[in-house]
Amino acid sequence: MADGGVTLAQHREIDQAEFTLRKRLPRKLPQRRNDVYINMKTDFRAQLARCQRLLEGGEFNEICIHGLGLAINRAINIALQLQGNGLGALRLAPNTSTVELVDDLDPETDQGEPVSRTRNNSAIHIKVFRGPPVEGRTPSPPSLPPSPPSLLPRKPRRVCDGFAL
Amino acid sequence: MTEKKKKKTKIWYPHTSENLFSMSGAKGKKYAKKMRNQPSSVTFPSTDFGQNSGGSSSQDRTQRGNGDPQYQWQGGVSGGFQQQRGHWSQPPGPSHQGQFRGGVRGQRGRGDWQGGQLGHRTHQGYQRHSQELPKFITASYFAQARAAEVNAMLKAVKNKNANSQVFQALPKHMRRRAMSHNIKRLPRRLQTIAKKEADKTSQQKKEVSKTKSRKARRRHGNLLLEFNRRQRKNLWLETHIWHAKRFHMVKKWGYCLGDKPTAKCYRACYRAMTKHCLLQDLSYQCCLELRGAEDDLLKALARVTSTDMGATFAAVACLSGKRQGSLVLYRADHYPQEPLGQVTFIWKPKKVPSEERQLWIWTHPTSKQDLLSELLSVCQCSEPIEPRAPIPGPATSSWKVEQKAEAELLGRKRKRNDKEGEEAVALKKIIGDGTRPPNQPVSWRSETTGIVISDLTMEILRYRLIGPLSHCVLADAFKPASDCKESDDVTEGPCPWWLKHCKDADNLSIHHRQKDTFQLLKGVGSPAEIPAGTVLGLTVDDPRLNLPNKRSQSMPDPSQLQDLQKIRQLTLSGVAAECAWSSIWDQAVRDNVTENKIPEKELNHMKSELLVPGSHLSLGPKDSRIPILLVQQPGKQTGEELSGWGSGWDVLVPKGWGMAFWIPFIYRGARAGGLQEGLKHSQNKGAAHFPHDFPDCPAGMRFAKEQENELADKFKRRPPAKRPNYIKHGSIAPFCCPWQQLAEEWEIIVKDSGEEQPAALKGRERPLSAVQGCEEDLLKSAESPSKLRLGLQLEGIEVDAGVSVTESKKACAEGIAGFRVLRSRNVLRQLSVWCRPTSGKGQRGQRLVPSFQQELTPESAVSISAANPISLVWARLTLLKKGSPALHAMISIPTAEDFEQLSKDPVYCGPQEPKHRDHFKHKIKQIKKSKKKKKSPAEETSEGSKTSSPDGGVCSDLTLGLWPEPLPSVTSHCSRVTIGFVTQGDFSLAVGCGEALGFVSLTGLLHVLSRQPADRRGLVLMRNAASLQYRFAKLRIEV
Repeated sequence: MADGGVTLAQHREIDQAEFTLRKRLPRKLPQRRNDVYINMKTDFRAQLARCQRLLEGGEFNEICIHGLGLAINRAINIALQLQGNGLGALRLAPNTSTVELVDDLDPETDQGEPVSRTRNNSAIHIKVFRGPPVEGRTPSPPSLPPSPPSLLPRKPRRVCDGFAL
Repeated sequence: MTEKKKKKTKIWYPHTSENLFSMSGAKGKKYAKKMRNQPSSVTFPSTDFGQNSGGSSSQDRTQRGNGDPQYQWQGGVSGGFQQQRGHWSQPPGPSHQGQFRGGVRGQRGRGDWQGGQLGHRTHQGYQRHSQELPKFITASYFAQARAAEVNAMLKAVKNKNANSQVFQALPKHMRRRAMSHNIKRLPRRLQTIAKKEADKTSQQKKEVSKTKSRKARRRHGNLLLEFNRRQRKNLWLETHIWHAKRFHMVKKWGYCLGDKPTAKCYRACYRAMTKHCLLQDLSYQCCLELRGAEDDLLKALARVTSTDMGATFAAVACLSGKRQGSLVLYRADHYPQEPLGQVTFIWKPKKVPSEERQLWIWTHPTSKQDLLSELLSVCQCSEPIEPRAPIPGPATSSWKVEQKAEAELLGRKRKRNDKEGEEAVALKKIIGDGTRPPNQPVSWRSETTGIVISDLTMEILRYRLIGPLSHCVLADAFKPASDCKESDDVTEGPCPWWLKHCKDADNLSIHHRQKDTFQLLKGVGSPAEIPAGTVLGLTVDDPRLNLPNKRSQSMPDPSQLQDLQKIRQLTLSGVAAECAWSSIWDQAVRDNVTENKIPEKELNHMKSELLVPGSHLSLGPKDSRIPILLVQQPGKQTGEELSGWGSGWDVLVPKGWGMAFWIPFIYRGARAGGLQEGLKHSQNKGAAHFPHDFPDCPAGMRFAKEQENELADKFKRRPPAKRPNYIKHGSIAPFCCPWQQLAEEWEIIVKDSGEEQPAALKGRERPLSAVQGCEEDLLKSAESPSKLRLGLQLEGIEVDAGVSVTESKKACAEGIAGFRVLRSRNVLRQLSVWCRPTSGKGQRGQRLVPSFQQELTPESAVSISAANPISLVWARLTLLKKGSPALHAMISIPTAEDFEQLSKDPVYCGPQEPKHRDHFKHKIKQIKKSKKKKKSPAEETSEGSKTSSPDGGVCSDLTLGLWPEPLPSVTSHCSRVTIGFVTQGDFSLAVGCGEALGFVSLTGLLHVLSRQPADRRGLVLMRNAASLQYRFAKLRIEV
């Protein structure tokens, strides 16, 4: 690990009175128009409607739903709702990943050195796309859905305070 | 000649008495001017009129009997006033009687009636005559009288008044288009007069218009002369001309600054801040340089700071030069009192361990003088260093030349002779501070410690880029300087410093590392991903060379993959300390770079000579290299949401290069903002803005005073019916915030309530009824000082209660606030935890109250407020529902019923303030009336006695709708108890609801918090000054 990161044991020792913890937002990545980042602040129905509109608009055959931390549940919920409403025409391809988040510890005293530490949080990326209905309940489509065009790991763009950072 | 007829032919007859009476001052003046050339009285020489006209009527006899032999025609202005006053104060009845009992009245009348009123009588007499015709007329006298009138009329017609042209005297139907310049369109009889007039005016015009033609004025040399003259009083930034074409300019703090763009771009600027890049010229900020041994500097500076507020100048990260720090400085050893201003500072990184340290303190121009004098005294720098005499050429030399040229121009014609032309070539643009006299010292040395303080105002430019793509703009606009090869050494390039610099291998390696780091920035998503306040030094090529042909938005290019591991390292630990080093710290290099700038003209010339038009111009070794410094500005750091919003980069550039760096940014799609955008930025960021949010600093106090005057003037300019009556709205101080009074009143309230019922302060989980009861007590106790004060005011004594107010005013005049703003980090953190509700929806994470925090109990609250007497706390308020807070809105405490209503009714917005009564309206009316009456001399004496009555003093500066000084109790004036005021408020586009920043009284806040139920903690009411509607708001203290 980089020298900026400090091990967990060391963190425990850091006195809270001497440092202020500031959480940075996760990295922002370039976003396509069919990427939907789920958060806990926007109304659930609004987010669902947005996904529905994207799919029914005819512009896209697939959308990606991203959720981080606390929003994973909601992302899954939205994806399943979409599939339920889609009359069997939609298929899901979920992927999970880990997102590295950065916390800053700003010193309150002159002696303290500012420290940045990293911590990991889970994320989910669900691809919702049109495809032939699968018989029975057997998942695993014959060909895996194509991976996102960007080589970078997909990470959520925006997180509001509802997220468990 | 009846009254009616007189009115009709107003042109040569004076106004009738009614008209005169109703004329306002300006109108009266105009009238007097018009009547200047008119005959004031129509007379005909007859001394024995009285005897001869004896038979005409009893009325006539009365007049003659008054002893004035002249038949006065009512005409003179002063006479007119005299007459009508006399007439109106006399009821009409007696005058009629007088007409009948002429003889008797005539005798009496001689004493108290002046001759002036005769005329009036006369036409009343005529009216009578018209009804009952006279039996006979003496023809000769009648004709004489008429002849005199006709003469007067003729005279009046001949002498038209001086201000108008001949054609203006023509009736409307005879006027023609373009009569003013084509004399032939006038009637022939007037043409000669008109010609005379035209000649006269054209002569006058010629005398006045010594100014040159526009073409001559716009010639380069003359334009520059004019510009230099205009920036002598208020400094111009280097981007001034650019801004002046696009911005509303204001003269502030000795500078001409762009306030806001003339285009409608409020939202566009906000979008630029959140999505792309907003550019701001902050070159008006002043830089103070401190040089000396590290220990000496730190020892001296420790006196003006306090560790209570967090890290100081000595913070490890800042001291190494890696980070920029931010602080509030205080007067030496005065810590909780007398702050001077907010500063940011950068230390120059060490190259050699035992090196003389260099520190730059950046401050706002309003607080510069205070800070400079304090720093001088702290560092004992008393010995001014003479500025190097003739070398710092451009500004001083241009100064002299300009003055000479101007002196010559005074009595000179447009055409220049050769000698003057030569001098005009020597004329130079003012770079740097043009208002400063050339021999004023700018640096001071201490004899004991050797510390040198210099004032680098306008020496270094500062541009701020705000927004997530600001480093995309930077990366596109800058090209790191190419190295100098040994072979280039022979040719003398325009930047000799770079040649010297590159000879050192260390310098070169640092430059390469800086270059690599800068390239890495392209891979970072937003400036918020880099540690706050990171400093990166850089040397770049002339940014004018790789200017794109068209303005376009620079966007990140995901196809260019960066080394992810390196980027991760950068985001985690920031830039290494060596990379923060830049040659911009070196005065010699800065001067060199400024002097050797290739002028725009030459560059364009070179570009035009390119073989392929529009291709890239490469100067090779001749290219200038400019040392710059990039400083990361952290975005929103406090609070839980939108963290990192509004982060960006500050670019520090040596002077003279302003436009050369500005235009490339603009061409990369950065949108320019002014002062207003800067204010909005800090408001959305939740950061205190200097000087708005520093009411305890001298600069902040001055600002508040200015703002108050400005707002009051604006208010008074509107007609009374079209402006809010603030008294009826219950807003005592709509234009300024009486902080001192607020803080003091809360001290009294809490003391009183504490003495009365100590048992009431039991604990936090108290039933609603108890809270309610407490609120009532609060109101009562809040009223008591107010009553005291009001009572005194009504009695007109203003002795004891006024003392504190007057004292505080005195202090304000000296620039010292009687109150404090709480800036102790520990206390603020404690308060911030207490302000949050302990339970409720969406309040995760509140359970984790850090171990070092105390529980909120009345005892702990009392101890905190006792430790910080008369203090204010800076707080951030978010409206729960509708509403947009405005400047100087009131923050008040909700009662228990309000909470009940809120929980019952989901759409309940808030309580209403009952309308107040305006007691002063009546008084103002009285004063107005008495002023009118004063005109009659008879009543003057009684008026005089009235104005000397006790309320006369208060009445002196009454304005309808504003509370006169002294103010009544601020806290208890309304139905809800006030704890604070808003200093900035608006609908926040970032959050999507109304947001405000303001101060509340610490004592008041603790009082509220300890009495509110746990799940409603931090909920307050807010009301705009011009509204009766209270709205619920969430109060947060963010650290």
